[in-house]
Amino acid sequence: MVLFFESSHEFQHDFQTSTLAFFNRYPNPFAKHVLSSDTIEQYIDEDGCLRVTKVIVKSGRLPNFIKPFLGTSVNSWIIEKSITNPKTNTLMSYTANVDHRKFIKVEEYLTYYTADHNEDITLLDAKVKFSSNLFGFKQKIEQWSHRRFSSNLHNTREGLKYVMNRLQQTGGIWQVDETVTSLN
Amino acid sequence: MSVSFAPECTDAKTKYDDCFNKWYTEKFLKGKSLENECTEFWDSYITCVNSALAKQSVNPMLEKAREDQPFTSEEIRASAGTSKK
Repeated sequence: MVLFFESSHEFQHDFQTSTLAFFNRYPNPFAKHVLSSDTIEQYIDEDGCLRVTKVIVKSGRLPNFIKPFLGTSVNSWIIEKSITNPKTNTLMSYTANVDHRKFIKVEEYLTYYTADHNEDITLLDAKVKFSSNLFGFKQKIEQWSHRRFSSNLHNTREGLKYVMNRLQQTGGIWQVDETVTSLN
Repeated sequence: MSVSFAPECTDAKTKYDDCFNKWYTEKFLKGKSLENECTEFWDSYITCVNSALAKQSVNPMLEKAREDQPFTSEEIRASAGTSKK
């Protein structure tokens, strides 16, 4: 069973601020379930695009009804791959769960790009794909994934906006700020 | 800035992330640099992370997930077409 959800959003920040916020979106008050984030690969490809792979650990992010299948594991590991093209101001990212894939796979595709009409606006297209082969749970998975998509989307936007606004105060550049660290 | 999943790597991560963020905004996005200039910090950070990951039971699944190829070259080209500088 496969379900897709799509949405778009507009951020009132330029590409630099928006994508710097994307790379540094944790911690923020809207993502308290995120425990850690690590870069495990980074390089510049033959087209001059930056490729980054991250590993993010979140607490309790799978539906309760599949917990009986999972044994004692409590945290979810997430992989994130992104490609940033500095010539076109485009950032594409993919996130997916690493464990429990035989029960459910949640894949999120994001594209951030500068609006044609205004360089100070960054557009975000989001597409999420839920796949599961848990027979007999179709309705529960549909309900869970729909709820998850809506609440995730809200929290992702609010968290990004929070980080973007902080960055805006420093002119979209990076400054070491202990108060951000202490939020975690 | 978020912590590392391995507490012993957080210091190295913070140093790398600081360097990365400056390089990303001041050089990479401005087309002034085509190589990540944070290798000094990267080397100690990734060494720490790799050795911590090797002890995690999730590591084989992570290695598998790293093989995901989410972007086709067509999609990369198409997305580049959506934005003009």
